Amino acid sequence: MITRRNFNRLAAVAASSIAMPSVLAGRAFGQDTPIRFGASISLTGALSGTKNGQIGYELWRDDVNASGGLLGRQVELVLLDDQSSASNIPAIYSALADVEKCDVLFGPYGASLTAPVMPFIKQRDLFMIGMFPLAANEKARHDKFFHSAAWGPNSGTDWARGFFDLAKSVGVKRVAILANDLEFSKNAAVGGAKVAEEYSMEIVFNQSYPPNTSDFSSILRNISAANPDAVFVGSYPADSTAIIHGIREIGLPDSVQIFGGAMIGPQYGSLLSSLGPELNGVVNSHLFAPEPTMQTPEIKKFFDRYVPIAEKQGVDPLGYYVPPFYYVAGQLAAAAITGAGSLDQAAMAAWLHGNTVETIVGPAAFNDIGDWTKRRVLMVQIQNVKGNDLAQFREPGHQVILDPPELKSGEFIHPYNKARAS
Amino acid sequence: MTRDSKIFLIAAVAVLLAGLLAPHVLKNPFYFFAGYVILQYVVIATGWNILGGYAGYINFGAAGFFGAGAYASAFLFNTFGIPLLGGLVAACLIGALLGVLMGYLTLRIQGVYFAIATLGLVIILETIIHNIPALGGARGIVVYGPPPPAWAAGPSQYMFFLMLLIAVASVSLARWMQISWVGRGLRAVRASENAAECSGVPTLRLKLLACAASGAVLAAAGAPYPFYTSFVEPVTVFSLLIGLNAIAMPLIGGTRTWLGPVIGALLMASTQQIATITISSELNILFVGIVLIAFVALAPNGILGLVARRSRETPR
Repeated sequence: MITRRNFNRLAAVAASSIAMPSVLAGRAFGQDTPIRFGASISLTGALSGTKNGQIGYELWRDDVNASGGLLGRQVELVLLDDQSSASNIPAIYSALADVEKCDVLFGPYGASLTAPVMPFIKQRDLFMIGMFPLAANEKARHDKFFHSAAWGPNSGTDWARGFFDLAKSVGVKRVAILANDLEFSKNAAVGGAKVAEEYSMEIVFNQSYPPNTSDFSSILRNISAANPDAVFVGSYPADSTAIIHGIREIGLPDSVQIFGGAMIGPQYGSLLSSLGPELNGVVNSHLFAPEPTMQTPEIKKFFDRYVPIAEKQGVDPLGYYVPPFYYVAGQLAAAAITGAGSLDQAAMAAWLHGNTVETIVGPAAFNDIGDWTKRRVLMVQIQNVKGNDLAQFREPGHQVILDPPELKSGEFIHPYNKARAS
Repeated sequence: MTRDSKIFLIAAVAVLLAGLLAPHVLKNPFYFFAGYVILQYVVIATGWNILGGYAGYINFGAAGFFGAGAYASAFLFNTFGIPLLGGLVAACLIGALLGVLMGYLTLRIQGVYFAIATLGLVIILETIIHNIPALGGARGIVVYGPPPPAWAAGPSQYMFFLMLLIAVASVSLARWMQISWVGRGLRAVRASENAAECSGVPTLRLKLLACAASGAVLAAAGAPYPFYTSFVEPVTVFSLLIGLNAIAMPLIGGTRTWLGPVIGALLMASTQQIATITISSELNILFVGIVLIAFVALAPNGILGLVARRSRETPR
């Protein structure tokens, strides 16, 4: 039985939802003094593991405001949750630009969420710092788009080139490629196959698997049957864990010199501590490792402040992969604004194209489509891990940088089975 | 033409005119981006209701038809340069064909078995897309559509008006099906399929017709999607969330008439759009869940059922 009270409550919900746009519009046209930076972040959904990037943004905002702001104005962040869904992106970025009246935009995380925003910023001719999309601007070629991550030029192909450089250095001739049926890992696998062919390596196994695969025993047996010298894997955290568990049970042949490449998961504290010594020997991509060749006072200061916040919020307590580059995005935008002396989007882009910016992860310079001029994707080998204590991963010697050569911090242990036993 | 049909026709023309004139009144493009998503759900809810509401066959596969429509228009545009309107027609045909195929294979089973079978359609289509390189596989397809026609105020305004056209056409089709012999037959199927069959109602043909119409409308909702987002990839367009919204919106509005899904979609999609930019989406999803439970418990026939009951209970 519906009472009048229940009916009235339902009517109130309907009325308030109809009235809300006018409330929003009223807020939209207010002129705030601070410079507003807008971004969508994936607080929920499949990409919510990247939400610790928000800490990077907030630390940058606090630092800028503590030092007097930009152009004499304080900095304000407007962050909206995209729910990891590309379909939400057009409306979110329109809301940031048209309702929230943001002065500068940061992109959403990753290629699949960035693709929908590229036509929007091109049509509006807006400045944007992209967050981790591979090869996002190669089609749009928008001259006001810049990457915060150091993917380097031709990232679609060259992103994992370091893995194949290492493989080549130890005489690898036969490569197996295994990839999740999802955007990032498929991209990595296609790029990896191209580089392998360029290096005259024979691809003896090339297979993708459905995203929810949890048992890799038959796939690993097939890989072993192909007798490869290298196994290049593009995977996401759940399947990375399942693959590592599968190797513990089934193993890989002694011919395998190098294993890993594009596995998402071993960059994060939760997976590093849960898998512990099982990860020994894996050579995998990363963007930062606490090795002497990468440590600077600035990055140390960043992590000294990041860790307590991350622990309080229950997000990745290491934060090596995503958060520093969200801070870098702020630094790049701030440098462009300060350099241009205004919020003029064309002047900001022109300044960033013509100058190198000193960031907490090192100097950043850009080519004509906003890629870092120099690829700085790390290939790290996990070594000497004992037990599951997370603290060991904050020390050097456990995520040893093998590539690029100028950041090399240790020796490559191979073949893989020998490295696993280390 | 009946008096109700004349009122409907006038209202439909008025809505289209309002949509055409809206860019001259609302200057903020955000309303058109958000409005597009709301109208997209009006089409999805309407399409779902043709089979799920009129015939009582609960279809969990709405995302499969939506995704098929999205991929059809994206592929035709990128490969052959066929414009969106051509892609829309092709999407409707593919959706109708998929609907007939699904119906032919699954309509002999009912209830939860039918629902699970339709869920399988989504998984099959998503897996197929994942493994066809020409359709971009897991990487998706980038679609840079042509600039909007000169009469449109901008890309978002053009996409909004196009979706409004599709919504008006879909609702018109749903209304025609409801008031025609098709609707009467489908109501008989919903009440008792055996009794309907014994009374001479061609149940299989009617159900196949409902599957085809429902599939065509759901695919039509997906056809403009690649031009709206400039990108289409399998995880998003085959998302379970589309299927859940397709069911929740008609249930909230009322499944017995064409108006129920429209009200449910306008209410729920508007609230979701507002919540996306005002509160945490976790609370947004919680809100949708609470509203759905509240309606199932308090108003199982949706808003329209509630209003009808209220008017019956009101002493004259």
